[in-house]
Amino acid sequence: MRALVIDDSRTMRRIVSGILGGLGFEVRDAGHGREGLDVLDEGWLPDLVCVDWNMPVMDGLQFVSAVRSNPAWRQVTIMMVTSESEHTQIVKALAAGAHEYVIKPFTADAIRDKLALLGLLPQEALL
Amino acid sequence: MTLALTHFDWVRELVHRESAIVLAPGKEYLVEARLLPLARQLGLGGVGELVDAVRSRPNPDSTRRIVEALTTNETSWFRDGDPFTALTSTVLPALLAARGPNERLQIWSAACSSGQEPYTIAMLLDDALPAAASRVAITATDLSRQMVERTKAGRFSQLEVNRGLPAPMLVRHFTRAGAEWEVAASLRRMVTARECNLAAPLPRMGPFDVVYLRNVLIYFDLATKKAILRRVRELMRPDGWLFLGAAETTLGVDDTWERVVIGRSSAYRPLKGA
Amino acid sequence: MSMTFDTGERRRSTDVRPVISELIDEATVFSIAEEAWSALDEVLVPQRAELSGDLISSWVEIVGPWTGSVVVSTARDTAAELARGFMGPFAPDELGDSDVADAFGEIANVVAGSVKAALPGPSAISLPEVGEGPAVRNPADQLRIDVLWRGRPLSISVQGALPALSAQ
Repeated sequence: MRALVIDDSRTMRRIVSGILGGLGFEVRDAGHGREGLDVLDEGWLPDLVCVDWNMPVMDGLQFVSAVRSNPAWRQVTIMMVTSESEHTQIVKALAAGAHEYVIKPFTADAIRDKLALLGLLPQEALL
Repeated sequence: MTLALTHFDWVRELVHRESAIVLAPGKEYLVEARLLPLARQLGLGGVGELVDAVRSRPNPDSTRRIVEALTTNETSWFRDGDPFTALTSTVLPALLAARGPNERLQIWSAACSSGQEPYTIAMLLDDALPAAASRVAITATDLSRQMVERTKAGRFSQLEVNRGLPAPMLVRHFTRAGAEWEVAASLRRMVTARECNLAAPLPRMGPFDVVYLRNVLIYFDLATKKAILRRVRELMRPDGWLFLGAAETTLGVDDTWERVVIGRSSAYRPLKGA
Repeated sequence: MSMTFDTGERRRSTDVRPVISELIDEATVFSIAEEAWSALDEVLVPQRAELSGDLISSWVEIVGPWTGSVVVSTARDTAAELARGFMGPFAPDELGDSDVADAFGEIANVVAGSVKAALPGPSAISLPEVGEGPAVRNPADQLRIDVLWRGRPLSISVQGALPALSAQ
């Protein structure tokens, strides 16, 4: 299974990629929404995208809207991973088409739990 | 003052045994910080004393509270999934068919801890039933007064709401309160929380249609497990449903239950005539 | 839903502008910080200690009904250790200055996100910056907590962007 991690913080990209890699995903990363769309445009379709909200060039909400408006990318599950935690923000994200939402600070187990809810835990991780 | 290595090792072993969670070496600070409030609550001077006390006189209650204090961020909503989806898929329809239209269904969360379990149940029912508050009453009990107060308050931290709670349910059923998230008042009204010691004769409650007794029997010896199951059964309707923890079973403990498979989990129902 | 951002510029003298202590208290800021560190299995102890020497700050701006910054400050070597701790098992063997700045900035982002959610919203936050940190513009509009992490001092300041309104 493939995952794309999008965050302007190199630290966060390392952490989330590390967690997903440990769960059995093949991971690529990007520094903002536009770079993330470029990966999808290449034809590398991830099963999962973990995307931050506040980023330069194209933010996470715009990325979510862009992905959800493209029928070719219908199978891509999107999870926002962000410090944005106002109630209205989460509603906006879900309304734009994000499937799940992880608030920072998070633990590796929190990500694992959400993936289990989405049915996206690679089989090895279930052991 | 940091925790002595032997004390830390004992705690690590205990937590791993009871919860499968691994405390890495170097986490003495964490253990010290999380257990100090518990030690003080129990009238002890420090964590070392707490460990010594529990080692010399094993006590299911203290053991459980130590494990919970160290795994507070680990308590999950919809823990193990199926025992809760089973409620809406199978148990609720069966009960609604069996009961009269004005009968309120009674559900018991028998080791409610900080409240994730009773509110998971409340959210599910609120989404499944119109006017759920008038159709269902949830009793939440725990040995610890602190946990009962937490359940009553229905407030959770960011870390806690991140654990297994679907985001759509978070926005539907919670509001922000300062740095925390608070369960909607309508759901809090569905839950009555009180103290209760499972290892002692139980107060008059129920009779319950559904009981969740999850991950608490593990702390007790066989004789006490049997006694608890017997007392729980006495507070249940004859056609009620009991859910245990994912790795738990009545097999080998109490043969007066019938195991029913629902999806990937099991429920236990009182055997007729037993 | 349109969001109006209060930059505080077109103010009438009769307007009331909240100071941070009217909106959030120290205990809340501490529990926000504590949570962020708890996610790393780390502990913060509230304790004032001398924050001196070669310091580094990371900060994020909040714009909304209250406008200001959330500033995290500590000694450079503490920031480096914090960066390593933050990355946990995913930290590279060598951490350069930009790695430390990136991690320290992300910590400000995490803390600021929760602070902003505890304020009356809606508010927006900026991307984090790392360096000398903004000066305190109005001492009456500041809330600061001082803590120890692994025995090392660290401070988190939630400070308003605007100078005090002059007396009428």
